[in-house]
Amino acid sequence: MFTKFFYDLRDAGLKVTFAEFLTLQEALDKGLANNSVTDFYYLCRMILVKSETEYDKFDMVFENNFKGTHYEPEVGANMLKWLDKSEMDEFIAETERQWLNQMEDLQIDKDDVEEKFRARLKDQDSEHNGGSHWIGTMGKTSFGNTGGNIGGVRVGGKTGYQSAFAVIGAKKYRDFRDDRIIDNRQFMQALRKLRQFSTKLDIPKTELDIDATIDKTCNNGGMLQIVMEKPRKNSVKLLLLMDSGGTMIPYSSLMNELFQSINKSNHYKDVKVYYFHNCIYSKLYNTPECENGDWIDTEWMFRNLDSDYKVIIVGDAAMAPEELYSDSGNYRGPNGGLSGWDWLLLMKRHYKKIVWMNPKMAIGHAPWREAETAVKTLFPMYRLTVDGLNQAMTMLMTGK
Amino acid sequence: MELNNSFKGTGEYVASEQLLSAVNVAITLQKPLLIKGEPGTGKTMLAEAVAKSLGKKLIIWNIKSTSKAQEGLYMYDTIQRLYDGQFGEEGVDDIARYIKLGKLGEAFESDEQVILLIDEIDKADLEFPNDLLWELDQMEFYIHETKRTVKAKHRPIVIITSNAEKELPDAFLRRCIFHYIDFPEADLMEEIVKVHLPDVEENLLKQAFEVFYDIRAMKDVRKKPSTSELIDWINVLQLGGIKAEEIRKKLPFVGVIVKKDEDLETVRQKMV
Repeated sequence: MFTKFFYDLRDAGLKVTFAEFLTLQEALDKGLANNSVTDFYYLCRMILVKSETEYDKFDMVFENNFKGTHYEPEVGANMLKWLDKSEMDEFIAETERQWLNQMEDLQIDKDDVEEKFRARLKDQDSEHNGGSHWIGTMGKTSFGNTGGNIGGVRVGGKTGYQSAFAVIGAKKYRDFRDDRIIDNRQFMQALRKLRQFSTKLDIPKTELDIDATIDKTCNNGGMLQIVMEKPRKNSVKLLLLMDSGGTMIPYSSLMNELFQSINKSNHYKDVKVYYFHNCIYSKLYNTPECENGDWIDTEWMFRNLDSDYKVIIVGDAAMAPEELYSDSGNYRGPNGGLSGWDWLLLMKRHYKKIVWMNPKMAIGHAPWREAETAVKTLFPMYRLTVDGLNQAMTMLMTGK
Repeated sequence: MELNNSFKGTGEYVASEQLLSAVNVAITLQKPLLIKGEPGTGKTMLAEAVAKSLGKKLIIWNIKSTSKAQEGLYMYDTIQRLYDGQFGEEGVDDIARYIKLGKLGEAFESDEQVILLIDEIDKADLEFPNDLLWELDQMEFYIHETKRTVKAKHRPIVIITSNAEKELPDAFLRRCIFHYIDFPEADLMEEIVKVHLPDVEENLLKQAFEVFYDIRAMKDVRKKPSTSELIDWINVLQLGGIKAEEIRKKLPFVGVIVKKDEDLETVRQKMV
């Protein structure tokens, strides 16, 4: 049942799995939906959705699938039998009449279309799963002009519940959506993904394994027998490069949050932070003010920070083409004989894992943002949001 | 749904209908119930209420940042064994004597069905929930030292709370029934407050509520006051004999609900 609903949820980007869907079927079998759409809504939500950040997406899919299902306090034993109710037949008949009248006005070949319409109605009789959906979307088909009529959902008894559609209508979970720009704590959570425990690495056994030592000693009749193990430490080294250019000023507080969270996340083996203006050239600045002189050579960085550093570049990649492609495009400092593009290529060649976080990345393909589009071809680029940062961290750890 | 094992709320705990049905769905489907929500919305109290209402024993496993999944199953007291070994105590070669069951083990071994509360699971290491997948699914675990399998005599009702400090792994989430406790609307809140403070004066309650929800609505307040803080505040107002009309003007004892200095300043500026 409701397979379309399942696939619609997945299409909407909800990570609903088959196992969860089966759980829902089991719950329906056990009658946990109490033959009420509202109970059914909450049941689906509690089984299929595991984060309040996704309630909004879920609501939209649910609405699309089930809006137009109209219900009363005392519905019959089977929720899906609503479709057989005389009320519904009347409704369909009325729709048909209305539509035929309209067609007459438009002087279109009535028979042909009527035939199609009847065929469609017949289809509906035989459709079991998501029959409610069928009616719901009728408003959107070419047999239209019924859309307005079916929008209203009558709420049955069941005091204490908010109607499912009232909940959806209120959009109260929109604030939780993952694609909103994020705050400090959420940043830190995402950053915690960057962990790689080094027990598997080839390092000396330097820590005393107390449990094993005691166990061995006991088995040894009290004669001490020491067991050593490898220390469990996070081996991730992080290199953060932040754009501090003029176009980034609107995002300064967001950048500050990100910087703070990385600073507070003390579980990395090493964290290095440098700043740049619009694009990376031969010098990287030590402070966000980007003052000439207070800098390091980019080449020094390549020499001293090895290729295992995971690199997060934060910037809007908004620059004039010459800033990226000309070897004298850096209007603020030295170019070092190479264009910004070439420096970026050097970055890509030196470091194994680089991601680019962009606070105002265009959604989808945006060829008019020339520099951004070009940079995207070099580095995986993500929006600076909870979702984006999570994806970026996964990318840094797994490479996908 | 069988009526003898369904949760209907208790005198002391006011739950929304959705929460009640989430609890009952979790019980019927025999899946852990994951409760998320702002701090102070009564996540922990829920388990107590469920236990009380069903007349079952509650076992609480408080999770800390250092908690390991293993601790919930069993601990092998090697130190004690070492001591005993040194002094030639009898039974040192019987490892079973040094196996102490953890909270999960306790719940499994119990002779009757119990409620197991795994409190604030997000405090622990990121991998913690994953380490419990098998145990919570199969309701059994294996003690390597003694080669014994501990299997639940009666499948416990598992309630897990999270403050959303960390995201939980997908594999874990898939197995849970999820409920997010919304911040209570004024009606439900009134019910909740009255359960805790039955003889509160209507007018005082109304004034305090207005101020409270106004503060929560302020966008620049960093830490929003919670339900439990509101209850404390109304209690203090009542005990201090504050008149209802003074609440908005003077903001007496407002430190009970607003705890950050900068928030206090914002609130005072906006209210006056």
